Amino acid sequence: MISATTALPSGRRRDRAALTVLTVWHAALCVLLMAGALATLASASALDLLTIALAVVQALLALGSATAAALILRRNHLGRTLSLVVNYVLFLACLIGLAHVLGLFMGLDDLADYMARGVPFLMGALFIVGYFVAATELRERPVPVARRTLGQVLMTIGAIGFALTAGVVPALASIPGKYVSSGLLPLALTAGAVVLGYMLWSMWRGESARAMGAKNIHSERLNGWLFLSPNLLGFTLFFAGPLLFSLYVSFTNWDSFNKRDWVGLDNYRRMFNLTVQPLAAPDQPANQAMDVQVYDELFRVNLLGQSYLIGAEDKRFWISLRNTLVFGLLAVPLAVVPALLLATLLNSRLPGMRIYRTLYFIPSVAAVVGVALIWQWMYNSQVGWINYFITSAVNLINSVFGTNIKDPQIRWLADSDYALLSVVIMSAWQWLGFNTVLFLAGLQTIPRELYEAATVDGANPRQQFFNVTLPMLAPTTLYVLITTTIQALQVFDQVFIVSNGTGGPGTSTLTMTLNLYQNGFQSFRQGYASALAWVLFVVIFAFTLFQFRRQRRASGAYDL
Amino acid sequence: MSYRATRIIRAVLIYVILTLFAAIMLFPFLVMLFTSLKTASDTFSYPPRLLPTEQVTVELPGFDRPLPLYYIVVESGETKPMALVEENIRVGIFAPLDAAGRPDVNNTVIRRFGEVKVAGGATPKEVVVGGQAVPVYEVEVNGAIAEMVVLTRTVFGRFINPANPNETAMANVRLSQPVTRVTAHPENYAAVVNLLGFDRALTNTAMITILTVIGQIVTSVLGGYAFARLKFPGRDQLFLLYLGTVMVPFVVLIIPLYQLMVVIGWVNAMPALILPWLYTAYGTFLMRQFFITIPKEIEEAALIDGASRWSILMRIFIPASAPALATLATFTFLYAWNSFFWPLVVVNTGNTRAQVLTLALNVLRGRASDSPNLILAGAAIAIIPPTIVFILAQRYYVESVTSSGVKG
Amino acid sequence: MKTTYRLIGLMAVAGLTLSACAAPVAPPAQPAQPAQPTQPAATEAPAAAAEISLRWRTRPDNKEEADVYASISDEVAQKLGIKLTYEPGGSETASYQDVLRTELAAGTAPDVFWIPGTDIADFVQRGLLLDLRPYANATEGYSDSNYYPEPMFHLTYNPATGKTGEVLWGLPRDVSTFVLYLNLDLINEAGAPDPRELAKEGKWDWAAFKEVAEKVNALGSDIKGYGMNAWWGPFGAFMNAAGGGFFNAERNACNLNSKESLEGLAFARSLYDAGVAVPYGEDSEPPFRAGKVGMFQNGRWATPGISTVTFNWDVVELPKGPSGHMGNWLFWGAYVVNKNTKHPEAAWKVVDALTQPDIQAKVAARGTNIPSRVGEAVFAEFLKIMPEKNNQAFLNGLADKPTAEGPLWTGSWPDFDKAMSAKVSDVLTGKLSVEDFGKTICDEAGKAFNK
Repeated sequence: MISATTALPSGRRRDRAALTVLTVWHAALCVLLMAGALATLASASALDLLTIALAVVQALLALGSATAAALILRRNHLGRTLSLVVNYVLFLACLIGLAHVLGLFMGLDDLADYMARGVPFLMGALFIVGYFVAATELRERPVPVARRTLGQVLMTIGAIGFALTAGVVPALASIPGKYVSSGLLPLALTAGAVVLGYMLWSMWRGESARAMGAKNIHSERLNGWLFLSPNLLGFTLFFAGPLLFSLYVSFTNWDSFNKRDWVGLDNYRRMFNLTVQPLAAPDQPANQAMDVQVYDELFRVNLLGQSYLIGAEDKRFWISLRNTLVFGLLAVPLAVVPALLLATLLNSRLPGMRIYRTLYFIPSVAAVVGVALIWQWMYNSQVGWINYFITSAVNLINSVFGTNIKDPQIRWLADSDYALLSVVIMSAWQWLGFNTVLFLAGLQTIPRELYEAATVDGANPRQQFFNVTLPMLAPTTLYVLITTTIQALQVFDQVFIVSNGTGGPGTSTLTMTLNLYQNGFQSFRQGYASALAWVLFVVIFAFTLFQFRRQRRASGAYDL
Repeated sequence: MSYRATRIIRAVLIYVILTLFAAIMLFPFLVMLFTSLKTASDTFSYPPRLLPTEQVTVELPGFDRPLPLYYIVVESGETKPMALVEENIRVGIFAPLDAAGRPDVNNTVIRRFGEVKVAGGATPKEVVVGGQAVPVYEVEVNGAIAEMVVLTRTVFGRFINPANPNETAMANVRLSQPVTRVTAHPENYAAVVNLLGFDRALTNTAMITILTVIGQIVTSVLGGYAFARLKFPGRDQLFLLYLGTVMVPFVVLIIPLYQLMVVIGWVNAMPALILPWLYTAYGTFLMRQFFITIPKEIEEAALIDGASRWSILMRIFIPASAPALATLATFTFLYAWNSFFWPLVVVNTGNTRAQVLTLALNVLRGRASDSPNLILAGAAIAIIPPTIVFILAQRYYVESVTSSGVKG
Repeated sequence: MKTTYRLIGLMAVAGLTLSACAAPVAPPAQPAQPAQPTQPAATEAPAAAAEISLRWRTRPDNKEEADVYASISDEVAQKLGIKLTYEPGGSETASYQDVLRTELAAGTAPDVFWIPGTDIADFVQRGLLLDLRPYANATEGYSDSNYYPEPMFHLTYNPATGKTGEVLWGLPRDVSTFVLYLNLDLINEAGAPDPRELAKEGKWDWAAFKEVAEKVNALGSDIKGYGMNAWWGPFGAFMNAAGGGFFNAERNACNLNSKESLEGLAFARSLYDAGVAVPYGEDSEPPFRAGKVGMFQNGRWATPGISTVTFNWDVVELPKGPSGHMGNWLFWGAYVVNKNTKHPEAAWKVVDALTQPDIQAKVAARGTNIPSRVGEAVFAEFLKIMPEKNNQAFLNGLADKPTAEGPLWTGSWPDFDKAMSAKVSDVLTGKLSVEDFGKTICDEAGKAFNK
């Protein structure tokens, strides 16, 4: 680094001039942005959320720009930070806008058009994968020079071939044409990006930093935000923003076409609207006991000799809630308990355990859609494997023990009593291997000495398992339980495939997520569907919290 | 029992249980692979067979088409492979009347209707059986003519012995066991690809997956580094917020995200399948956890040497974090390759330009609902690539799946 | 060395991204270029008309049909002198209509598209369809009466006035109706009477139908006499045949609890109770095609798939129920025009061209559809298609007072269907008695009318 004292006077003058330019730039930018905000508000035909948000963002940036100008004049280092932030945000906006206007994003489709023509893309893909594999392999062991050179030549040829066949050359050549055909906007955006880029560079330079009195810690802060910015952009645009918007939508009756009125809590009211009516007789028709114009019969219950009828305004919500909870209560233990058993066995340090571990893991990498199709075929009640195995087992038992057990001939996915169970089995099967590996990793962190001590104390394997393994495994167990529960409560792909999106037979596989999909994207009650989503969020949150709490109480020693 | 014997028994037991579970875990995939090589009609056979089979046929002189072979019990009681030469022969099962005038079900014979004639000549003879008048037929049994009534009517097939064309037999075709041999129909895969443009879906999925993996690695590495090694105001609060997002179910975002895509104009297009997924709280968290373990001293030494943060990240952190990168890449690969809900919402299933494999499968199961072999061939196309990636990367993947989660 | 690798890698990634920038190939689905305002005369002048580019979509049932539509698309495009792009659309399982609504909401929907009859009301009431009446009236040779009257009733219904004949939402692509697909081998083996003969003699009623089903069923434990699939069509046909139905005559109230509807349902249930039918909820087509079901109730769309079976098959009309009719459905769907199309005139021409007799004949030749036009010439042409022997069964079904698959103009059909189908499923799987069904069903399903 060059110290400030050695700088030439002429250089210092130039620095001062640069800062003056920046001050003027920010003042101008402030005016421009305020005008932009007003223009946005004025040009919008209706004041929707998007317009307001856009105007507010512009106004905020204008304010930031004005403050930056003032602070630069005072040579306050905050002015530098602010200037960089404002310019950076606008620079990104220009670049993204340019990409959008030039059709860069939509161009992905066209790119795929080209690539779909066959092998070239696969070549390219293999080449990229190969690069990463090679890049990671290189660190571990030295590769002979000859092979490395060969690899380089091959990769270069691959890259050139890929660029030619995948249409990179004509694509690049057509960019100038796009500028011409898309009017002034791309030119303006390019100019904006260039100017902003210059301003950024001008302020980022060490000379400007020194002139503004910025220290190392300040530049570390800026670096921090800079490194985080791509991530933060995604977080804001595709997570936080939509999350807030979703909350807003849940208070409206949006149908995604023309209706979007604020209805307050009406969606939630409708969802939770229940009625409990005493019945004169257990089989009294529902229309005599409650207002069937509003409510549908949910179920009947007998409490202390008095029958009650419980009705709900949105019956399908309650059914989906029940199905989801039942699914979770069945699938989670089924995917966790055998996993623990298998992990304990795999931890026995016998040869070949790695192979088993890999085999168990395979189902969890397969697409749920594909897996559901396989199981759907195996569940086929007439020619499917599962019923065949059951029939064979029953016949075997009957012939060996002379019993007369009847073949159940379960109709799995076609019977509303078994459909949910079928999905439970399928899902547990798919999640089992993942959980096994998690448990195995947890088991391997338990120190051997603990077992040796327990053996010395005379504990048998069972006692060891309950007194050493389980408590030591508590953090893993919690993690496994939470991830599996979150997954189970959001189950969608499986039920969508096996029930054709209906949640059938009857309503037996209608889960909350599927109900949400039906409301949001079949009936287009997007407001109501958003409310459903938030209720699902609360359910998941409650379950996670509950498991945390229980775990804390059970093993207070393990702070999580 | 000696200690050694106990140990061996224990090991055997462990292997037995593990193998049993391995069979359970693998069996559906075997079903998928073998079924995808069958013909459609072969998939419907009962009892189910794993291996694809087809019926053996023979060419016989005098017949213009190959004749299917069945195992038939001939008169001598032997079971022989015989060729079906004629189907749908209407036959009756005839029974003589016993002394009480009831049909004697123990002495039935099978005859074609062309071989018998109604007794009584011009005035057909009838008897009353079970309150109904039924015609009486003259049936030849062992050279003698007997009067019999029709018990039931059915259809039979005529079979001949290919080795000895004079030996014939009549039997119910449906209940006869066909002679089969193991075969394979790999052309099912080509059929699936042609049926729905699976090749395009495969390209799209590969492209989406690769771009998502690259994008997620870039944002996660940068973000993870910032969270792990750079001090800036609001860092810790923001990190907690990031962690909290893991709890938010995706469905909460689906409607606003969809509407966002509508506003931007990405509905039905590939950017909608890539760009929203470039940010990942999980990946950022994973990389941060890994970067934190790298000794601070190396970084400080580099800083003193005048290296920029960027070059420190590129030259020190990234080379050291191959296992974490591989894990993140594999995770993202699987997620992007297998995702279904979001593409279902945002891409029209008929739009082949932005079709992905899971959506194509969803369409396929409707369009090929009568050919499970094709559906499962499609499933295999969707399942095999991620499995290969996993097996290649499992060294890193399996071992570090947990490291982040359990610590947190 | 590493730098070289990195450089090459970066090059590839950058190339990938940059090439995304441009569209070197003219993509088929690229939004149309700003076109000149369409004048009727413009379609005649090829130079000006070449600017018009339209997209249309319909759901094919198989690959062959998709190919036929694609070739028809080219033919129509040539005839009209416009650019026409055909999009196949998803399959039945891939929620075709939901996707369309999603696209309409997003503004990416095609100009002309097909929707099933049940969805017309919903699309109209959401304001998504263009009224084609002015264009139709200006077209020579067009008449509502060229098509089956049942679909035209709904396609010309004006929800604002409650009158029919005023507007025109689209033209029917095709019609369809139920028949029983017969496994003649099984029926012969069981020694059961031939349903085709019984139908000819006028003796094909519920009793005869049940007798045949029972005889076939007796052939073995893996053989079933009858099979139908689990949706509203098959069980609705039984209700209709008994003289009942889903709705009242005005289609504004639930009729599921009427004596006749319940009688129809009870008969369907008796088939399941007796174990004669493939269990409800199970797809009956695979076992039928595997040769294990005697009679399979399905529409015309099942014909191409079934024609590949190895056993002898044919079709017969549905048996007549207590009402003296077979209670069949007239299934239909229509080509409609997106309200936001840039070229309404051209879009109408496409709709009109797609429903011309020669085009319909081409589609019908695939075996999946029945032309939506009426008239002796159309019928005669249709009878030449497989199964040649007995194609009349379909036309008989359409002639015997069928109920049109219908939208609900004063209610929500999806809500009605959801409430009804779930309960009927309970009845047919023996979980709910027909009486209990009758007591509660209209309270639940009836809510679809007071939304």
